[in-house]
Amino acid sequence: MSDIKSIIKGIDKLKPIPQVASKVMSIARDPESSMSDLSKVIVFDTAVTANLLKVANSAYFGLHDKVDSVHQAIVHLGMDQVVDLVVISDSSENLKSAQEGYDLNAGDLWKYSVSSALIARELAEKKEANEINLIFTAALLKDIGKVILNQYVKDSFDKINALVTEQNFTFREAEKKVIGIDHAELGGMVAENWDFSPQMVEIIRNHHLPQKSSISEFESSIVYIADTICMMMGIGVGSDGLAYRFHQEVVERLSLSDRDFQKVISVFVKSWNRSIR
Amino acid sequence: MSLIVGVSDMKVSDDTEATLVTYSLGSCIGVAIYDAVARVGGLLHYMLPESSLDPEKAKKNPFMFADTGIPALFKAAYKLGAKKQRMKVIVAGGAEILDQKGVFNIGKRNDAAIRKMLHRNNVIIDYNDVGGVVNRTIKLAVNNGDTWIKVSGKGEKKI
Repeated sequence: MSDIKSIIKGIDKLKPIPQVASKVMSIARDPESSMSDLSKVIVFDTAVTANLLKVANSAYFGLHDKVDSVHQAIVHLGMDQVVDLVVISDSSENLKSAQEGYDLNAGDLWKYSVSSALIARELAEKKEANEINLIFTAALLKDIGKVILNQYVKDSFDKINALVTEQNFTFREAEKKVIGIDHAELGGMVAENWDFSPQMVEIIRNHHLPQKSSISEFESSIVYIADTICMMMGIGVGSDGLAYRFHQEVVERLSLSDRDFQKVISVFVKSWNRSIR
Repeated sequence: MSLIVGVSDMKVSDDTEATLVTYSLGSCIGVAIYDAVARVGGLLHYMLPESSLDPEKAKKNPFMFADTGIPALFKAAYKLGAKKQRMKVIVAGGAEILDQKGVFNIGKRNDAAIRKMLHRNNVIIDYNDVGGVVNRTIKLAVNNGDTWIKVSGKGEKKI
């Protein structure tokens, strides 16, 4: 078993989520906040502003008029979309690198994370969730623990794989058994370290639903189902494959059918082919 | 030269320099076909078993579904001179999540769909590597029909 303390120290090596993303997320959570509150936070960060305008003007959104200010971007795309874009652009650096332990090439974990986030948003809207931005961001960042655990998974892959193939362990359970900590638990620690809300910490820690969630059960379930659908689609899936547990009772509690799953998959491919590949 | 077949996508080729590849199948299925006489190869990456889910979508993109994608794959290869009786067929993918049962097991349903369809049309599957919890990638060389299946974390094997 590895030294847990030295694994946790790996959190410090991540590029911290800039303040602007945290601020933007807290604005998104405050029902009293306005467009100008959001705009004020973003305009002071030139890198984020430049990136936002670049994306807003991309073919993906098909806007007729050229967007050349943060305010215009918010008007054209809406607050929710702008919040998503800021969070996405800030988390990309950590998630874009190759993760050899998980047999993921550069960009794979990023594709997986963005896909999960987009699907989680769609499910959240379908289920009329109140905390759509929370769900989106948690789905985007849920595998951040893999970035740190990667090296340890690489060193112990054969042992982890043996538990998965011979003893019906999930990959997460095998990580925990062999290394002493799993990627979801570690992801929760990263979220704590970045001062994310307790709900966000819990959803990230609990995104494979190892136990019943206490404060964010609904949100955790949505993120879990989005993750499940992404694994089935195979986009950015690595050496852990689909070795996680399917909780049919969770799916049924949200009144989702296999047809709903298939619909989400069939709709998603189009936006995938258009935007992320 | 690599010709990449995307998700819900299909390509055929008679270019002997070309290698057809489709990545990261998950529960989706990759179907590689090859006629060694005509030296024509084809590769399909479908996601779902039945087009009845959304007939409109199936018209726009037949490669999303087994029942519309598989006929489209064979027909496209016939156009380049391939013949059904000479066709080698390799099927990969269709993985499942642990404890994923019944109708939710899309991987298994994807596999059942192609078996049923090929059986009905008297086409034999020469090699198949489906199911389990692993993620696969499949690659076919148009030059000689050599096929490789890569399992994430476990390397690539020639079949």
